[in-house]
Formats: sequence, C-alpha cells, structure tokens
Amino acid sequence: MSDMLASAPEAPSLMTVRDLAVHIPTDAGVARILDGVSFTLPPGGSLGIVGESGCGKSTLLRAILGILPKGARVPQGQVLFQGQDILKTPVRGRIGFIPQDPYLSLNPVFRAGDQLLEGMRNHAPGTRDDHRKKLINLFHAVQLPEPQNALDKYPHQFSGGQRQRLLIAAALACDPDLVVADEPTTALDVTTQREILALLRSLISERNMGLLFVTHDFGVLSSVCEDVAVLYAGRVAEYGPTGNVLADPRHPYTRMLLACHPDRATDLIGIPGTVPAATAQPPGCRFHPRCPISRPNCAVAVPEAVRIFDGSRVACPYHADPLPEVALG
Amino acid sequence: MKRLLRDPVACLGFLLVVFAALVAAFAPWLAPYPDDAFDSHLLQRLKPPSAEFPFGTDYLGRDILSRVILGTRNAITVAVSVVLAAMLIGVPMGLVAGWRDNWLSDVLMRVTDVFLAVPQLILALALGQLMAPGLTTAMAALSLTYWPFFARTVYAETRRLRGALFVDALAGLGASPARILLLHVLPNAAPAILVRATIGMGFTILTAAILGFLGVGAAPPSPDWGLAVAEARQHLPESWWFATFPGLAILLLVLGFNLLGDGLRDVADPRLRRSRK
Amino acid sequence: MAEMIGARDLVVELGAERGLFRRRAGVRAVDGVSLSVTAGETFGVVGESGCGKTTLARTLLGLQRESGGEIRLENAVVSGVAPSLARRQRAAVQYVHQDPGAALDPWWRVGATLAEGLRIQGLTNRTEAADRIAETLRAVGLDPAFGERYPHELSGGQQRRIGLARILLLRPKLVILDEPTAGLDLSVQAAVLRLLRDLRDRFGLTYLFISHDLSVVRRVCDQVAVMYLGRIVEQAPAAELFAQPRHPYTRALLGAAPRLDGKAVAPTLRGDPPSLRAIPSGCRFHPRCLHADMSCLEREPVMQPVAAGHSVCCHHWREAA
Repeated sequence: MSDMLASAPEAPSLMTVRDLAVHIPTDAGVARILDGVSFTLPPGGSLGIVGESGCGKSTLLRAILGILPKGARVPQGQVLFQGQDILKTPVRGRIGFIPQDPYLSLNPVFRAGDQLLEGMRNHAPGTRDDHRKKLINLFHAVQLPEPQNALDKYPHQFSGGQRQRLLIAAALACDPDLVVADEPTTALDVTTQREILALLRSLISERNMGLLFVTHDFGVLSSVCEDVAVLYAGRVAEYGPTGNVLADPRHPYTRMLLACHPDRATDLIGIPGTVPAATAQPPGCRFHPRCPISRPNCAVAVPEAVRIFDGSRVACPYHADPLPEVALG
Repeated sequence: MKRLLRDPVACLGFLLVVFAALVAAFAPWLAPYPDDAFDSHLLQRLKPPSAEFPFGTDYLGRDILSRVILGTRNAITVAVSVVLAAMLIGVPMGLVAGWRDNWLSDVLMRVTDVFLAVPQLILALALGQLMAPGLTTAMAALSLTYWPFFARTVYAETRRLRGALFVDALAGLGASPARILLLHVLPNAAPAILVRATIGMGFTILTAAILGFLGVGAAPPSPDWGLAVAEARQHLPESWWFATFPGLAILLLVLGFNLLGDGLRDVADPRLRRSRK
Repeated sequence: MAEMIGARDLVVELGAERGLFRRRAGVRAVDGVSLSVTAGETFGVVGESGCGKTTLARTLLGLQRESGGEIRLENAVVSGVAPSLARRQRAAVQYVHQDPGAALDPWWRVGATLAEGLRIQGLTNRTEAADRIAETLRAVGLDPAFGERYPHELSGGQQRRIGLARILLLRPKLVILDEPTAGLDLSVQAAVLRLLRDLRDRFGLTYLFISHDLSVVRRVCDQVAVMYLGRIVEQAPAAELFAQPRHPYTRALLGAAPRLDGKAVAPTLRGDPPSLRAIPSGCRFHPRCLHADMSCLEREPVMQPVAAGHSVCCHHWREAA
C-alpha cells in the first residue's frame, strides 16, 4: 500500500501519513494495530476515518496526536504535519483535539475556564487576559449561552451539548491548523449532534483549518467530511471522496458494511465472522477469511492499492467483481 | 495472584505472613525448649544470646527463642479470632445497611459511627477493668472495636454494587434481596473485605501486644510477646535481648500483614495500583 | 387483536427520598402516558435522553412503582403493587439491559448466571436446566460451550446474545429491549437485529423497543411512540410516522438523524431539552417549537386522532403539516 502515495501527484499537504505501522507488544504476542496506513490531507480539507471497533482508529489518532501508549513501536512510516515528522518532533498547540466524551473530559472540581486557560498557557502567545478575551470570543462563536460568564462556571453547570461546544472552543483556542475529532457526538442526542456538527463544519471552513474526523457512523461522516478512509484491521481498505465511497463502494468490506446500514439494507445480514485480533492478523488480505469473493491468492499476497480515479483507491484487486446476493441482503 | 507476585514489597509481606503461620502451626516442634512456656530455670536467668540460647534467656531463665516461637501461635490465634468475630458482626450489618436507604440503614450506620468514635485502646482498657483482665477480655474488646471498620467497608461496597447493572438485572429477574446480597454482592465485595481483614490482622496483633504490655491482655506465664516486652522493661538496658526479640517479632508480623494488605489493595483496585508508582 | 400490555395515565415520580434524616420531592419522569401494545408486534419508543423512556420501561416491568395510573397485562390490571410482588406477577415481561455485559455478575460463569434465572423461577432440576440452557444458547446462535466463559471473555455481540438467552430461558411473552443496538458496530448491529426478528417469530414474542436510533426503529418497529419530557407526543404505525410526521418535535427528530447522502431535510431544533425539574407551561415543547403561539404557552394540548392508529399531541398539527 506504500505506493499509494508514490502514484499520487505531490500536492501541498497539511498532513501526510506515509506507510505508518504501529505495533504494541502484549502478553499474547505483538499486536499489529496499524500496518502500512497512508493518506494525505490537503490544507483546509476534511478527512473521515471510519471503521468498526478494533480497526485501529484510536491508535491512528494517538499516533497523530503524539500520545501513543507506552511500549508502542513504530517500525515504519512517517506522520508529516506541514512537512515535519511529528513522530520525531512532536508539535504542540498546532493540532486541536476534540475528545469523544464531553462528560469525562472536564475535571468536575475545577472551573471550566481555568482548565481551558491552563491548556492555552504554554501553547498560545499572549497573557492570561488575552487568552480570556480570546476564549470569550470563541464562546460567542460556538454559541454558548452567556459567554461572558461561562469561564467561571463548573462543568456540571453545562449540558452535554454545551460541554461539547466548550471543548470545541478549547480545541480552536490556540488557532490550530488541524483539528482532530474523536467521535465528538456519540454521547449526544441526534438533535444536539446535528447542531454540533453544523457548528464544527462552519467554524472549520471559516478558519480554513484541516479536519480529521474519526467516526463509526456513516451518516455523520457524510455530513462532515469531503474524503473518507475506511480502515479494516489496521489497513486502509478504501479511500476516496465521501460521496463516491458511500454511493459506489468498491471494497467487499465497505460494500458489506454499508449493506448493514438500516437505511440501506433490504435484509439484515451482518458480516459473518469477527474482526481479527490484532495479535492474530491473517496473512495476505486481512479481510479474506470473511470475504465472499476471496480467492486462494488473497490468503497469500497483501493486496496492492488499486487506483480507481484520481483521489480514490481500493485495496482489493477484485473490486470489480460482483458480490453474491446473499452477502448484500 | 500473579499480579501480587510481581509486586516485591507485597511478596515480602506475603512471605512474612506465611512464615509466621508455619511457625505458629508447628510451634511445639520448632521450639528448642517447648516446656519453657511454663517452666522456669532460675539458675540460667538473663543469659545473653549464645549457641545454646540463640535469643538469650529471660528473667526466669526461659529460652526466649522458644517463647517467641510459642508466642507466634498466640498472636495469630488472637488476630484470626478477633478479625473473624469482627467480620461476623460487621459484614452483615454493612450488607443490610447498604442495601436500602431507610430508617434501619440510618440507625445501623449511626451505631457504627458511635463505635468508630470510641478509641480502641480505651474501650479495651475499660472492658478489662469491668470484666476480669485476660486474653478473652482483650479479644472481646478488640472485636467490639474492630467490627465498625468492616461495616463501613461493606456498606460502601454494597452501596456501590447495588447500583451495578447486574444487580438491577437480577432484581428484574425477580431474585430476592437475600439471594442478591449473599450470592452476588458479597463475592463482589470480597476483595475489599479481604484487604480490610489482612490489615486488621496486623492492627490486632499490635493492639493485643499493647494490651499485654499494659497488663490487661495475656497473663503470665503465657508466652505473649507484649507481655514479654513489659517484663523486660525492668532489665533494660543490660538485658537488651529480652525485649528486643519479642519486639522484633511483633514488628515483623505487623509489617508483614500491612505490606500484604497494601499489596492486595493494589491488586483489587487497579486505580490505586497505578497511582502508587 | 389482543392487547399484550397497556397503560392508562401512567405517572412515575423519581428521586423522592424518605429517610430518617432526609426528605426530598421527586420529579415526574413519566407524566400521564397511555399506550397499548398489541401481541406479536414490535412497539418502538423513541426520544432524547431524559425523556422518560427507560423509566417507562422499568415501570411496565415492575421494577419501578408507579405513582398513578393503571397498567394492564393481558387485560388484567397489574398495577398498584410493590416491586417485589410486581416482578413475580409480571414474569411474562422481561427486560434486556442496554449494556448486557454489565448486567452479568463478573464473578459468575455465564452458564451459572443463566441457570440462576431458572432457579429463581423455581426450576431446580439440574439436567432439565442444562438442557434448556443449551437449547436457548443455540437459539441465539451461540455454542453451548459459551456457558463456561466469564462475561469479560465475550465480545459485544456475544454479550447481547447472552443477554437475550438469559431472558428467553424464562419463556417471556413481552420483552423490553432497552437500546439493544447502542454501542454496537454496524455489522454486529445488523446481525443482532436479524436475530431479534427471528426470535420474535420463533417464540411468538412481543417487543417494546426503546431506542434513540431512528434508522433502526424505522427498520424493525411496527408502531412507534415519540416521547418528550415524560409525555407521548405522537404515536403512529412506523411507516406512517416516518412518512408523515405530524408533531413538530417528531419532524425535528427525524430531520436531525444523519443521512447517508449527507443532506439535511429539516431545520435544526434549537437548544437542549429542558430539565424535568423546570417543565415549561402549556405545551412542554413550546420553547423549542417553530410554530408556537400564545395558545401553546397557555393550554396543554391533548392527544388528537389524525388517522387510524395515528394520534398527535399538538394544537397546530393541521397547519404545520
């Protein structure tokens, strides 16, 4: 899959992940959590990382944020942020992070403002007063009620949606060039989710920031991201513009996964089998034990990424083959 | 268990406790002069440590090593029976009080608070004065003051567990409170009870020794460690061995129980385990 | 068609405390709910978190005692008794938790947990119990050897299956499913939904299906009730509700659900749901409603029939359509 980038023309990139592998030794052997992941995010672009649990989404996120767990090894690959390999020299303050759970991400015994200001102290220029003014402006931007007083409130005085607005403001506080969001709306109701997503979209595009959005929800994905990378068992199965991938998925995994969506499915089938454990990845194509069109070769050779058109790649040589009816339901 | 063995400090505690238990179990065979529990040999009073008497002899000419070994059994019997008795009172009270928020729960916990507020030694001394001073009185006093710790621990665990989804699911299936409490809440609270019991053992040994020292615990000629230290007082500092070895025994066994208890707590509570390093 | 479970003007107060040293008034988590679930159907209850759907379920189950109103089970009134008696009376109703993994005692093997349910119901014959457990495990698509495992050794999908097996053993008629697909991956969710459908057909079950995932509800439910702040604001056959939602809240809810084509279909709903401790006057939805006027502020709307089996609780459902 390393040639994915070689074949792509060199465009100015905000973030380039090149052939990244992350291995974590465990009691049960080495967990090969990521193996040869590559993608590019242009400045101001938005990329969704989608996949089921255990596919390596959160490890990828941690690698990008420079917070890989202790003992993790990176045997190959680079994460280039504005041309700088952040695996070697971590960048601070230029990547904003919106965490998954607004309820767990704020310490309940400190004022919200103090926690956000603490985060800005080392990464944003200016004095504490400058920071306060900036945060209050941002609170206006994220439509937090009573932005003037919000800094002095405690986390429990905000609802879930308001907390997520608070955390979005925090992520934008240091004027990052890239915002990384980890399923920021899973803990919220659909009505709140919709508002938060709309807000996030407009803030990001106003400020021309890049967005890396991790999710497992294709509906959320389609309303936020221009491009999508579908991860399966630590590899990119399919990559392309979100609209194309959702309307015309090519990889057997993406096709079957989308066929599971209740809005799509004619019958509810699921995908037989389970995602392999990271310590026992099958050889060859990692999806082959669950794939209805796998051939003997799939168990041997790691599939090369096939280019379908510019900016759209699929890691399956048989992507043009039809899937049997039963597999799609 | 595996995690416990990875923690060298807890391992040391475990070894100390196991060693003491073995010594207690085989005391009459291990002691070089098992009869020295009661016999006195006035001709060999206060001999310093030698090949014949490795820990020396006391003011009645008895072998201190033998008496320390025989005393181990005493100490452990006291610790185990006190902790067991305290558990028998404290655990059911904690279960009942923690299960529901009603007047009974309030009453039980306030009673517990009252007992917690009474200093343990004072109550033991008072009881010793009321009843005949002796080992039984001391044990009763210690049990009476230690059960509130179990009640508190179990109360907290029960309150935590009664909110657990699996308890809710059992109630949904129609399980009776007795079934839920005895078969589900109690086993889940067991690690916390075990930790409390282990630390309680060390604590009881220390307090029993203090009571022996003050003369309201074991009575002569019983080979009690605290009593031995008390008797040695008049012969200090010349006969340093007389007080040192029984005192060392108390120190090591209490230390053993406390280290083991801390280790167990770290195993039982992953949150604490990380923060200790 | 026969009614399986029904409720009239059900009111549930939560959080009232009566200790020796404290006393506190509760909130009305369910406030005047009437519904009727027909035998054999899947009845969906949707709404945002805090709307009272889980409390409603626990009250129908009998774990939570109602403060007012009436519950009918197979045409017999079963309300008005203490929870311990209620659970014995309503053995035909069983409940599957949102997180069935956490609903298993971590110290017990799965098989022992399954057997326990049978023992509580009075089946003490061990061989018969073992046979029934093996049969039920197969019915939910698991090998009987799973009985030997501990809860933490199961995947999310397997935990749901065990959760189902646990109550199927008790031969229920009505199964209350609380967010049965929350936290599941798409592929596992599809398998679980399919299993639910198969089990319903095989054992003749009736489902009360509580969910916030409208895509799933649309897919599996026959009837749907929409709850807002402890009240049902709209109820209709699923197909009709999704095609012609009448209540402004239902419309906002349906519009807010993310769609695969990324298009927005309805204006967003402003603000968070107000707290149960400060319920707005008149129509509870009026502070967030685009069509609210003075009458919504002053008068509480009542349920009005729209079409056969479709009713809505709104003054302006005709204009707003």
